[in-house]
Amino acid sequence: MRQGTCSQCGLKGPLRTYFQDSGKVHCEACASKIPRPAAIIDPTVCARCHADNGNSEFSLVGKLPFCAECQKQFYERPYPQWLKLSLAGLLMLLVVALVHGRKYFHAGREMYVGEKLVRQGRYGEAAPHLRQTVQIAPNSDKAVLLYAKASLLSGDPDSADAALHGHDEGRFEDSPEFQDVNRIFGRAANAAKEANQAIELAAQTGKEQEAARLMHHAAATYSEMPRLAEMALEIDEGEAFARKDYDKFLAITEKLEAEYPESPLYPAEVASALACKYAVTGDLAWRQKAEGMLEKSRQLSQGSPEATKSYEEYAERIRYRLDSREIIDKPEYDRRFRPAKVEAKN
Amino acid sequence: MFFIPGPVIALLTFPGVIVHETGHFFFCRLFRLAVFDVCFFRFGNPAGYVIHERTDNFKALFFVSMGPFFVNTLLCMVFCTAAFLPVWELKTQDPLAYFFYWLGLSIGMHAFPSKEDLSNIWELAPANAKHGNVLAALSLPLIAILYVLNYARFFWADLGYGIAVGILGPIALFRALA
Repeated sequence: MRQGTCSQCGLKGPLRTYFQDSGKVHCEACASKIPRPAAIIDPTVCARCHADNGNSEFSLVGKLPFCAECQKQFYERPYPQWLKLSLAGLLMLLVVALVHGRKYFHAGREMYVGEKLVRQGRYGEAAPHLRQTVQIAPNSDKAVLLYAKASLLSGDPDSADAALHGHDEGRFEDSPEFQDVNRIFGRAANAAKEANQAIELAAQTGKEQEAARLMHHAAATYSEMPRLAEMALEIDEGEAFARKDYDKFLAITEKLEAEYPESPLYPAEVASALACKYAVTGDLAWRQKAEGMLEKSRQLSQGSPEATKSYEEYAERIRYRLDSREIIDKPEYDRRFRPAKVEAKN
Repeated sequence: MFFIPGPVIALLTFPGVIVHETGHFFFCRLFRLAVFDVCFFRFGNPAGYVIHERTDNFKALFFVSMGPFFVNTLLCMVFCTAAFLPVWELKTQDPLAYFFYWLGLSIGMHAFPSKEDLSNIWELAPANAKHGNVLAALSLPLIAILYVLNYARFFWADLGYGIAVGILGPIALFRALA
């Protein structure tokens, strides 16, 4: 430890307790009379623990002398235990956040992919992606509206309806996206209403033409739903049969059969039209074709008990037509040959 | 503009303060700088501090001063990314997601280096840049921006930064991945 002598009063003492001003050394008492005295640093005394190094100077850290022990503490200051535990906890939370967020990452990714496809007008492709998002987040305005739009514009209003009503009881912010979906939904709802009316009218004798007009209008109103156009053709078919226009009846059934080659119903309907042609002309070529179509329908209906049952009911009536060359509709056939069923219905 | 005392904000976002100071401390240890005193969190101003040895090594000074900025920003982005979709896009009522959002924003809000940290680098950066130190040259505009943002803290620039990182970051990420 170095000693100092006050330049004013001559007091001697440890240099580190002295002050300096303009190159002169002052003791604490004399320094108190000076405006801004500077503390003197004794390089032989540790600035932290005041360890005395005799005449040897300690090395400086940040302009201050520190003993080896104090320097070690500064350079190797340990992380507090609570901090280590907190950081471990933070890392765990990070893992939890990523694992917990996995399903949301999936849902989000599907939504962005779906959104992109919707923007490109690829609604049918977008709907399955967006459905996955809606299953995880049924209350997301954006996901539900995108899914509803994709479903509506790919001819699936039922899925759109379910998603819209599954969101906060059908409530949405009045955004441009909601208005857009609402407009499309309104169009689909009008078409569905007209289609239902058309189906009711088609069941009434003599209303076939009005039913066909309504169904065609519904199909044009909501052209995204191919089933409506199919139903319009089916009503046209019934109307042609009622007017005994068997050429048109045949043309329509052939068109439907070509458009839906997997359906067992339409080959049976072609067979029905061919059987009509045979009944009217007596040309065996029509009969052979009709039997060929019936066989095709039988093959397609295999594997589904419902389709097989429907085929058997239909085939029985067509065979009667082919055997008797008498054209009667289903109610009349039921009345004559299936009285038990009619009674049971009534 | 409404005023909330700094200590109250620090208390509400304490994880960010601790992460910030831990960042300083970590880089001091990494670059072997003496740490004279450290406070990871307290109810006062500043809410935390690390008093360390001065250095003329620009790389060490840069990382000690700016390290917390990068660490906090990265952690903010990760936590907010995990919470962004359920909270903002999917609107799920998931409390864990909201917790992660608070954690992410708290950390992001304390990303800015203090004025003292920026002053320390600013003192060394121009001379080092003149001598061809690329890091020093690149840090100059960043320091300038952070200086401005630091003064804009009064206008909640720190919260704005957290939100920007926590919302815009994930949006950009997910849009790029889609």
